[in-house]
Amino acid sequence: MDNLSDIEILLVEDNPNDAEMALRALKQNNLSNEVLIVGDGEEALDYLYSRGKYADKCPDHHPKIILLDLKLPKVDGKEVLRILKNDPEKKIIPVIVLTSSQEESDILETYTLGVNSYIVKPVDFDNFVDAVREIGLYWLLLNQQF
Amino acid sequence: MTKNFLKLFFTMTMLLSVMFICADQTPLQAVKDTISIASEPDYPPYCFVDENGEAAGFSIDLFLSAAKAAGLDVNIKIGIWEQIKQDLAEGKVDALPFVGRTPERENLYDFTMPYLSLHGAVFVLKGTKDINSLNDLKEKSIVLMKGDNAEEFVRRENISDNIVTTATFEEAFITLANGEYDAVITQRVMGIELLKKIGIKNIIPLDFHIPQYRQDFCFAVQKGDMQLLNRLNEGLSIVIANDTFENIRNKWFGPSIKEKISFSHILRYLLFILIPVLIIIAVGNIFLLRREVRNKTRVLNNEIIQHKSTLKDLKINEEKYHGMIMNLLEGFYSVTLDGILIDYNNEFTNILNLEPDNDYTGKNLPDFWQNPKEREIYVNEILQNGIIKNYEIKAKKADGAEIVVMVNSRIIKDNTGNPIRIEGTFLDVTERKHALEELQKMKDKLENTVAKRTAQLQEKVEKLSKSEKAMLYIIEDLNNITAELHEERRKLVDSNEELEAFAYSVSHDLRAPLRAIDGFGKFLFNDYAEKLDAEGKRFINVIRTNAAKMDKLILDLLNLSRIFRSDIAKTEVDMGAVAESIYLEIADDQEKKQFKMKIKEIPNAFCDITLIKQVWQNLISNSLKYSSKSEIKKIEIGATENKKEIIYYIKDHGVGFDNKYIDKLFKVFQRLHKEDEFEGTGVGLAIVKRIIKRHGGKVWAEGKVDEGATFYFSLPKQENPGD
Repeated sequence: MDNLSDIEILLVEDNPNDAEMALRALKQNNLSNEVLIVGDGEEALDYLYSRGKYADKCPDHHPKIILLDLKLPKVDGKEVLRILKNDPEKKIIPVIVLTSSQEESDILETYTLGVNSYIVKPVDFDNFVDAVREIGLYWLLLNQQF
Repeated sequence: MTKNFLKLFFTMTMLLSVMFICADQTPLQAVKDTISIASEPDYPPYCFVDENGEAAGFSIDLFLSAAKAAGLDVNIKIGIWEQIKQDLAEGKVDALPFVGRTPERENLYDFTMPYLSLHGAVFVLKGTKDINSLNDLKEKSIVLMKGDNAEEFVRRENISDNIVTTATFEEAFITLANGEYDAVITQRVMGIELLKKIGIKNIIPLDFHIPQYRQDFCFAVQKGDMQLLNRLNEGLSIVIANDTFENIRNKWFGPSIKEKISFSHILRYLLFILIPVLIIIAVGNIFLLRREVRNKTRVLNNEIIQHKSTLKDLKINEEKYHGMIMNLLEGFYSVTLDGILIDYNNEFTNILNLEPDNDYTGKNLPDFWQNPKEREIYVNEILQNGIIKNYEIKAKKADGAEIVVMVNSRIIKDNTGNPIRIEGTFLDVTERKHALEELQKMKDKLENTVAKRTAQLQEKVEKLSKSEKAMLYIIEDLNNITAELHEERRKLVDSNEELEAFAYSVSHDLRAPLRAIDGFGKFLFNDYAEKLDAEGKRFINVIRTNAAKMDKLILDLLNLSRIFRSDIAKTEVDMGAVAESIYLEIADDQEKKQFKMKIKEIPNAFCDITLIKQVWQNLISNSLKYSSKSEIKKIEIGATENKKEIIYYIKDHGVGFDNKYIDKLFKVFQRLHKEDEFEGTGVGLAIVKRIIKRHGGKVWAEGKVDEGATFYFSLPKQENPGD
């Protein structure tokens, strides 16, 4: 984590418990080496565009995937998604939305904005670990091919 | 003495008669006293121009004398015949003194009594031998004065086809004298005079008579100028009656030409001839008297003849009129003032139904009046007004039948102006009267009906007006209700929005702590397993199980709220296929082996397919769940239908339920079984009820403990396919 340019996974999550659980789920799947956790949408964008406290970051470096909670302080997840998917340079980064429910309107909206996949955060942690493995691995591996 | 007396007598008579005529015909005084006439230049000795350029001739003298006798002054102008004829027709002159009366001219002018009759003659060159009658003229060329009655005669009688006209006879004679044509036809006397005057000697009149060409000469006036005509006739009568006419005639046609007589001659006459003359005069007076008597006798004879002829005409006319009256389509009658019939016609007897063969003249018809008093009124009225028009009388026929007649009568008076009788016509108007009365009755009836209908209509209008008011109140109420509904709807929209926000919040914020409870419970279990004994591990398990259960409750509640919020999109749904696919989806392999699922032929429903799937899912999973511990594992799905709705049912042979708890069945979070008997949140049937209710249907159930349950739901039939 010292080297921002090594970050492979960007986890955008305001709930520290959820963030910890997500990290643990990644760890259990051996994906937790280069994870950066940010607490709101603005920080996520700062990192991605090398702004603010991430100004030193090489602007050309992109994480391999972004795990994005929708309900976020300041700039919410949908706005972050919209900005990324409208940016020709950033839109190739796979974005996986983490959501609490299967509320149809949310899911439909993220798809129209260009989300690559989504994980419903289940209450049962074991199921969450399974979901992270399936989807996270898929996109990480897919992205490595580029 | 006798002669003087005679002359005095004649003069007085003429004077009196002129005075009488003038007195009798006062309107004549109104005619202008100066008239203009026109004369021809060359029709001697009747009309011509003398050496001084003045109009002269017999007709001119006669006209002037007659005019003078009638009190008229005369201006004379000269013109050729064709022109002056035209002038009279157009009213440029008032009269012509010398016009032969022909049928053609009677259309253009009115003529006085004739004062002269002349015969025509054919004039030819001396030595002409081949013309001995009118027939010989057929192949000959005839020259005539244009517009002269000779021309009219020649053309009328078709004497010859070869006719030439000239402006004057002088011209005609000159051309004849030059041998250009064969003959001239004109008045014998005039022709001879004219030839003399212009000095032509090689032309002679032929001897044969032309009876068809006898011409009566008169004064002519413009057609319709009766006043002038009457005055000229009157003047003419006067000059004929006294000696003037005779004198004029003698002047123009007398045997000797008068010499100029000097004063000495007169003295000589007086001396030498006076006595013989006196004798001659005496003899002459006798002669004259005789002649006057002869003349008067002739005039009286003529008058008698005329009178007889008039009487004859009158008789003919009277017969004609009587005939007309007899055949009138109206009844005619003539009665004395006392009502005695003098005359009547056929229709009179017809109308009154009298015997046509009886003669009623001289009789009274006492029964004619239905009310004899009316006769007095009628007679009084006619005596007062002289005439009575369209007077209705109630009369009786001979057979006593009552009729109404319409009478038009007038009073006839005698010479002294005393009324002597009543004459009139009448019609039987009984039927017409009845028809009119009928018509009036019908009209009254119609008016009555119209009045009634109008009143009824008025009533209806009033009622309508009341209902209209009521309607207005209802509309006002409706408007209020609509406004309230709008308000409620707005509130509903608001609360739906709130509900949605709430549900969103629940799904995210309420679940996050649960995730933490479960997750960290798991981490505790994994990371500190060696430090926990069996009881500690069980506690962790209880925590995690409850977290999971709460999550399910939350999800079910979200589901229910979504049904409240979601729109319904109805389509035709194959219910059998849906039920079967749901069964195959939710039943696990073991259940599929154990259960006997029977889906009957069921009708399609008109509903929201997503929601109806949820209904079948909840009902089928209930049946599976509550049959799991029963021996008979059999589920049946079927339907019945009536006019308005289809009722679907699902029947199982599971644990069933006690009917006394039926109220709880469809309420949210209400359960009839313990958690450890059958898992569940108590939301499933509430969702089913909610969905069916939103489709306008009903849900109910029948059950018996340990024998099974049947759940029914109804869906209305599609009212209007395509909605």
